[in-house]
Amino acid sequence: MASVWISGAGMTPFGRRTQSLPDLMADAARAALTASGIEVPDAIVVATMNPEEFLGEGNFASRIATHLGFAYVPAIRVETATSSGAAAIFAGFTAVASGTARAVLVVGGERMTHLPTPRVSEIIGRSIDPYERSYGATMPALAGLITRALMARSGLSAREISQVAVKNHANAVRNPYAHFRAPVALAAVMASRLVADPLRLFHCCPISDGAAALVLTASRAAVRIAGIGQGTDALAVRHRQELTSFRATQAAAKAAFAMAGFGADRVEVAEVHDAFTPFELIALEDTGLFPPGAAGRATLDGETALDGRLPVNPSGGLKARGHPLGATGIAQVVELVWQLTGQAADRQVSAHVGLAQSIGGLATNNFVTLVEAA
Amino acid sequence: MPPPVIDQIQGSRCPQCGTAVVPPARFCPWHPVAMAPVSLTGLGEIVTFTTLHSPPEGFRSPLHIALVELQGGARLVCHGEATRGIRIGSRVAIEAVDRVYYFAHLGALDRARLFWRRAGRRGERLEAIARSWAKRLWKGRGRDTGE
Repeated sequence: MASVWISGAGMTPFGRRTQSLPDLMADAARAALTASGIEVPDAIVVATMNPEEFLGEGNFASRIATHLGFAYVPAIRVETATSSGAAAIFAGFTAVASGTARAVLVVGGERMTHLPTPRVSEIIGRSIDPYERSYGATMPALAGLITRALMARSGLSAREISQVAVKNHANAVRNPYAHFRAPVALAAVMASRLVADPLRLFHCCPISDGAAALVLTASRAAVRIAGIGQGTDALAVRHRQELTSFRATQAAAKAAFAMAGFGADRVEVAEVHDAFTPFELIALEDTGLFPPGAAGRATLDGETALDGRLPVNPSGGLKARGHPLGATGIAQVVELVWQLTGQAADRQVSAHVGLAQSIGGLATNNFVTLVEAA
Repeated sequence: MPPPVIDQIQGSRCPQCGTAVVPPARFCPWHPVAMAPVSLTGLGEIVTFTTLHSPPEGFRSPLHIALVELQGGARLVCHGEATRGIRIGSRVAIEAVDRVYYFAHLGALDRARLFWRRAGRRGERLEAIARSWAKRLWKGRGRDTGE
């Protein structure tokens, strides 16, 4: 299999944006193309979770290609719920690795803040099993069920899941692309209102607008995709054999490490899917970065902080950088590229290998991507 | 507190791996094998639960949701009137009201009643009375609007 390189990365600031989604995607795409020095890609992969309902627009691959002035460049859209961005990287990777294309523009984004919160929750909730949804199950509700089971099983404390928010907000203060740029105190997280017991408001990521893009090439660049893997599980949470770890992440990590030919010990920085803060701790254990049951304590001890042994979510994560669904999986890798190439400014860490983990739906369709500095 | 009502719950079982699911599904989630109908007793254990404070439209706040594992192995999502006294591992009875499943805590007294109910016909008659009484109480609870 041919090597696949990341020759350009770009994103818009995340948060409440006034631009249209095509304009946000164009800004991210232009930034990535400029960084790569490629004027016209061979192919485009577009990621959005649900422009049909958020915007009332479909046929979105053609929409974006045309908007970018690439009406003659073949474009497809991929969708795997909240991991659509990572799925787009996966699709772009296979195109380059197979020799089908030599330069692929991968661009993802979502525009959500123009709708009222209950409507946004309803649209995101479309990715939940219909029977569970008929009982009022939303993403926070299912995350609440998982968090309670996790706390009971592993002894994970409210302090530990709250510290994830404190750390990620602290990182986002240093990230000009982040949705939230204010720190939060542990006491404030622990006193925020209950959303889905035991999950509180500050354990949950915000609703954000934004876009992110990468240019993947067959020609050598500063960062290589060392491994990429996909893992899946049953759509219905009630069918899962395990509630407190995600089989989809474990399978994706196994595949990614097998492709890379190295293990978790080589990873020096990680961007993981902390849509709900306990999910960061589950991700660290499912990917093998921490032994089972150790991630909560390690977070309290500062091991995953910017100056810790293994910085996790230096961007601020979904929690504080923001979570514009289709953009998120790509933005994680954009951050890793910047970290590996010394472009992360005030939040720069020292790393040669990075891991990104993205969750689709309630961990039904997950991806793990490993990137390595050349 | 009315005595708990035990319903039979319709599900399906995989002939290959024995997995049971509720509601019935055409194929096993783990194998492309047609599932066979199975009737499960509405008794089980709380696997986990939550209380949703901003439920979606059409549901009353706070909304109590539990994941319950039935004795036959299938897990189902159900509503409850309250989670006070409920813990992971609590024994619950499942009742269907207008095809919506509700859990009710089984105290020591309830478990004793269940034992006697299984013992004979008179118990079954009592159960029928209790069931209709409980259904009247449950009806309309937990949801703002009908199906």
